[in-house]
Amino acid sequence: MSGINRREFLTGSAGGLLLAGCGRRKTVRRETLVSVARRPDYTQELYGELRRVLAEFPLDVRGKRVLLKPNLVEFEPGSPINTHPLLVHAALEAFRELGAEVMIGEGPGHRRNTLDMAEAAGYFETIPRFEEIFTDLNLDRVAEVRLAHPQSRLQSIYLAQSAMSCDLLVSMPKMKTHHWVGATLSMKNLFGTVSGGVYGWPKNILHWAGIPGCIADLYKTLPAHFAIVDGIVGMQGNGPIQGTPKRAGVVVVGTDLAAVDASCCQIMGIDPHRIEYLKLAAGDVGGLIRSIHQIGEPVESVRTRFDLLPEWSGLRQS
Amino acid sequence: MVSLLKSQNPDGGWPYQRGGPSWTEPTAYALLALFRQRPVAEPIRRGLRWLHAAQRPDGGWPPQPAVRQSAWVTAVVALLGPAALGADTYRPGIAWIVRQSGEETSFLSRVQRLLTGNSQTDPGWAWFPGTSAWVTPTALSMLALRKAPQCTESARIVTRLQMGVACLLQHACSDGGWNYGAARALDFDAHSYPETTGVALLALTGKDSPVIRKACRWAQAQLPKCQTSEGESWLRLGLLAHGQLPSDTPLPLRSPRTIQNAALALLSSDAIEGRNSFLE
Repeated sequence: MSGINRREFLTGSAGGLLLAGCGRRKTVRRETLVSVARRPDYTQELYGELRRVLAEFPLDVRGKRVLLKPNLVEFEPGSPINTHPLLVHAALEAFRELGAEVMIGEGPGHRRNTLDMAEAAGYFETIPRFEEIFTDLNLDRVAEVRLAHPQSRLQSIYLAQSAMSCDLLVSMPKMKTHHWVGATLSMKNLFGTVSGGVYGWPKNILHWAGIPGCIADLYKTLPAHFAIVDGIVGMQGNGPIQGTPKRAGVVVVGTDLAAVDASCCQIMGIDPHRIEYLKLAAGDVGGLIRSIHQIGEPVESVRTRFDLLPEWSGLRQS
Repeated sequence: MVSLLKSQNPDGGWPYQRGGPSWTEPTAYALLALFRQRPVAEPIRRGLRWLHAAQRPDGGWPPQPAVRQSAWVTAVVALLGPAALGADTYRPGIAWIVRQSGEETSFLSRVQRLLTGNSQTDPGWAWFPGTSAWVTPTALSMLALRKAPQCTESARIVTRLQMGVACLLQHACSDGGWNYGAARALDFDAHSYPETTGVALLALTGKDSPVIRKACRWAQAQLPKCQTSEGESWLRLGLLAHGQLPSDTPLPLRSPRTIQNAALALLSSDAIEGRNSFLE
C-alpha cells in the first residue's frame, strides 16, 4: 500500500486517483467512486452494461492479473445463493477487453467440492473453458500473512497465494443478508481467500477470532480491490443460505469495498453505521459515506427493503 | 490408479490438483489407495518419505509443509497405520490426535456455556487447533483411533472414541444426516450434506441407534442424486459400514476432480469388494 493504509486512502485529502497502474500503489483521493446500475434481469444486456460501468472507472489493467472472486456457497441452482455466472462472465469479458489477464477463484466456506458446485451453479455452461481459468482458493498454494494492526484476535493468517499475488482482486458477491453479521457483501466475500485446506470447512478460525474483525483485517490486508456486487436478485431473511430471493435489480460497482458495501446496505434498507465490520474497517462510517461519489442510479431510486431476521431488526435504516 | 501415479509430485507428495503443490491430505489418501498395489512400491516409498519429512515435532502433520501448525490432516495420515508409517512416526501422531478436542469443550468454554445457559457437548475434534469440533475432523479422528493398536494410550483412546460417538450423535441434522456440524443456526434447521453424512456413518461403524438408522435412510435416498464424487464415495463407505448399501447401487456417476477424491473413489470401490482400508 506504499505506506498508506486503507482509511487514509478513503479519507485522504490529496487529489489524484485510485489504481495507479492497478497495482498496490494508490494515490489518495477525496472521493470514492461507487456506481449503481439498474439491471432488472440476467440477460445478454448485462455484458454491455458492465463494460459501460467499468469505463466510468479509471482502471488501468492492461497486462495486469485480475482475479474475479465470485461467491459460491451451495448446490442449490434455483436459489439466489451464488453469484450469477452471467455476471461473472460479463466481468471476465469486460476486463479482458481492458487488456487484463483474467482468472476466477473461489474458496467456499462450507462445501469442499468447489468445481462441482461451480458446475451446479451454471459456471461451466456459461463461461467457456471455465476449468482452465479457475483456481480453487481453498486448495491453492498458501502464504502466511502477518496482520499489521489486527481488529480480530488473529495475528497472522494463511491466505490463497492467487489472491495475494494478483494485481487486482475483484470481489463479486451476491447481495445478501447474513445471520451472523447482518449483511454479506464484497468485504465478507473475502473470506473465500482464506485457505480451507488449512482451516477446514467451515473456516471456523474466523468465528473464534471474531467475524467482523476478520472481515476488516482481510479488507486491509489483501491487495488492490474492486467490487462488483450481484444485486439483481439477492437474498433476504435468513441469509446467506436459507433466505428467500429478493429482486433488487442492481449491480453495484466500486473501487473501495467498504464504500460499495455501505452503498449496498443503503439499497437494502440497512443502516451501514450499524454494521460492525464497516465500523471496524472505516472507523468513521459517516466519513466513509460522505467520501462516496455516487454515479449511476441514485441509491434512493433503487432502495429495496430486504427482510431481516428479528435478531437483526436493529439494523434497519430509519 | 494410473492417474494417481501420474499425479505424484517430484517431491514425493501429491497435490489436490495435478501440477499443484503437495498437500498432506491427498498424499495420505493416495498412499492409502495405493498401498495394496505391490508394483507401485517406489512411489509409495517416496510418498512416505514426504510424510515423514512433513511431520512436526509435536507429532502431528500440517496441512501443507508451509503451514506452521499441526491440524486435522494428522488423522488422515494416521489411517495409514504403524506398519506403513513406522511406530516412531505413528505413535506421536496418535498421541497428538488424542490430545486434541474442540475449543467449545475447553474448561473456559464449558464455564462460559454453563453461565450462559447453553448446553454442553461431548468433545469432538476440530479442523484446526483452537476452534470448534466439526463432523468431518471428528469422524476422521475416530477412524484413525479405531485403527490404533493397543498401546499406552488405549484407555484414553476408548474414552475419546465413546465421546466422539456421542458428539456425532448430538450433531445430526433434523432431516436425517449430518452437515459440517451445525444442525441449527438461529432457530433454523440446517440441511445435511452427503459427504459429511457418509464419513460420520463410517466413523459410527458397529453402533446402532435411531439417529444412525435415520441417517442410513437419508444416505440411501441421496446416493442416486449426489452431485460430487466425494459425496458418492463417503455415502457408499458409510452405508456399507452399516450393511445398508443397496445391492443395486449403480456405479459412481461423478468423476473425481481432485486427487483426494480419486483416491477416495478407489478406496470406496475396494471397500465394496471387501477390502476396507478405513476399518482394517
